[in-house]
Amino acid sequence: MGETFHTIVTDPARCNGCVACMRACPTDAIRTRSGLAEVRGLACIDCGACVEACPRDALRAVTSTPADLARFKVKVAIPSLALYGQFGPDVRPGQVLHALKQVGFDRAYDVSWMCEMVGSATDAYLSECQGPWPKISTTCPAIVRLIQIRYPELLSHLLPIETPRELAAKLHRRRLASELGLHPGEIGIFFITQCAAIMNSIVAPVGLDRSYMDGAIAISELYGPLRKALKEHPGSEFDDAVSARGLGWAMGAGEVSSLRNSATIRIRGVGEVLEVFDRLESGTFQGIDFIEAYTCSGGCLGGHLTITPRHVAQRSLERIARRLGEGQQVKEEKVRSLLREHFFDLHDEIDARPVQPLAGNLRQAIAVKQEKDAMLQALPGKDCGACGAPDCAAFVDDIARGEATFNQCVFVRLRELEEESPADQGGET
Amino acid sequence: MSEDILFRQTFAIRGGDFERGGDAASAIKVILKQLGFPNDVVRRLSIANFEAEMNVIMYAREAELEICVLPDAVRIVLADRGQGIPDIEWAMQEGNSTATPEMRARGFGAGLGLPNIRRNSDEFEVTSTVGVGTTLRYTVFAGPRAQV
Repeated sequence: MGETFHTIVTDPARCNGCVACMRACPTDAIRTRSGLAEVRGLACIDCGACVEACPRDALRAVTSTPADLARFKVKVAIPSLALYGQFGPDVRPGQVLHALKQVGFDRAYDVSWMCEMVGSATDAYLSECQGPWPKISTTCPAIVRLIQIRYPELLSHLLPIETPRELAAKLHRRRLASELGLHPGEIGIFFITQCAAIMNSIVAPVGLDRSYMDGAIAISELYGPLRKALKEHPGSEFDDAVSARGLGWAMGAGEVSSLRNSATIRIRGVGEVLEVFDRLESGTFQGIDFIEAYTCSGGCLGGHLTITPRHVAQRSLERIARRLGEGQQVKEEKVRSLLREHFFDLHDEIDARPVQPLAGNLRQAIAVKQEKDAMLQALPGKDCGACGAPDCAAFVDDIARGEATFNQCVFVRLRELEEESPADQGGET
Repeated sequence: MSEDILFRQTFAIRGGDFERGGDAASAIKVILKQLGFPNDVVRRLSIANFEAEMNVIMYAREAELEICVLPDAVRIVLADRGQGIPDIEWAMQEGNSTATPEMRARGFGAGLGLPNIRRNSDEFEVTSTVGVGTTLRYTVFAGPRAQV
């Protein structure tokens, strides 16, 4: 079920089959054979690199619609912290929450305090954890999927703590249901998201049976209406509960800054992530206890469903955080009691989803490898993408799987043509 | 007795080539994954190969690293030409190292190289002649999957 669902779809009317998305994809999940980009479900991690790369806006993230919202009696928005950075340094988080209530939500709840809380819980967990080290954050769903499909050896490194957004939704649903005397199912909780990966983590969750949220709406979709609402009814809601410490999570450095353990690193952007994970997997990356990782360079502010350029948004958010002050929102006793209740625990184990099917036995695997190596030798190695695969190695994989044929390579075909036609063709004048 | 070598490949390693340090270990990791070896086998060999490769880069002039895939194991033979190890027993003790301050600054020289290779392999053998070079042979058993 979850394996095949994906948030990113191709619009055939806009896609002209160019190779921009295919080359941008970090997991080789796209093929452009029939003149159309096709995302392969099993290999896709919903990172959004293709959406970003497409010059024709042909790849889109499927998010919730107004009809999805209408199903619920009470509509709740939990905005990504990235939303606070979209409207400049002078718009306060409280005003953004107020504006969300002008554009169709009955309630809007801040998630920064839960980030601070999860930070404290992570700190407590790390101080008692026996390894394996380092632990890797599960906040970015694209990172979790990447580990599932490509680095199964690192699954045991994933921090077994639920994300702030899910925990906030869990808590608010419970509270609201009892406050309003409603069945929890009558409350619709929607994440205002900066990326497709979170939408996918709601529809096809990992580490829990069912998401505590009901859907997600893109920041880019609400940006216009929210701007208008902020202008017309600026509101004066208090930011009392907004945590400056929590806001750091949007910039991809919130987790590490909330830890007492200083043997931490943060990595952002797919290139950086692959480099570090490769070394971790080989066991040659030592002395680090915690890794905060995001597939977007710039952390969540760099999500492809945002509007404001990430450096500008970061500057705004930094100023907003400074104005809020360094004060701690979360009481340590509260965190300790929730820890005892296992409130933060990830519900299920995260399983491996390797893409490459293993060959039947070692001899067969070696035969296949040698065949592939020979084919690769015979290809031009230009990684042009004209065959519909992102590079020559992926093309050879496709041939081995029976999904492509050798002469789909334009250079191979050209060579064949030259060999077929004798040199006397130069007669044209 | 003839050995059933299913696959063999050799990598050249140059002493002092920190720039490409780890390349052979990475390439072997890719091969082992392609061949479908279990994660545990891949990880143990990757650690051992990286240590062995860095030993050459830090201490020797040059070396060949050969990987042999056998029906039930993966064997590595790494023969270098270099200064050799005068006291193997000493070098096999954790914490003993002749690394220079510069090497230590790069994060090596904890004196764990050889013991770490032994720990991550099922068979381990080291022979060395001072002034000529060192040869490491280590094997990781690959379990029932390899029974063809």
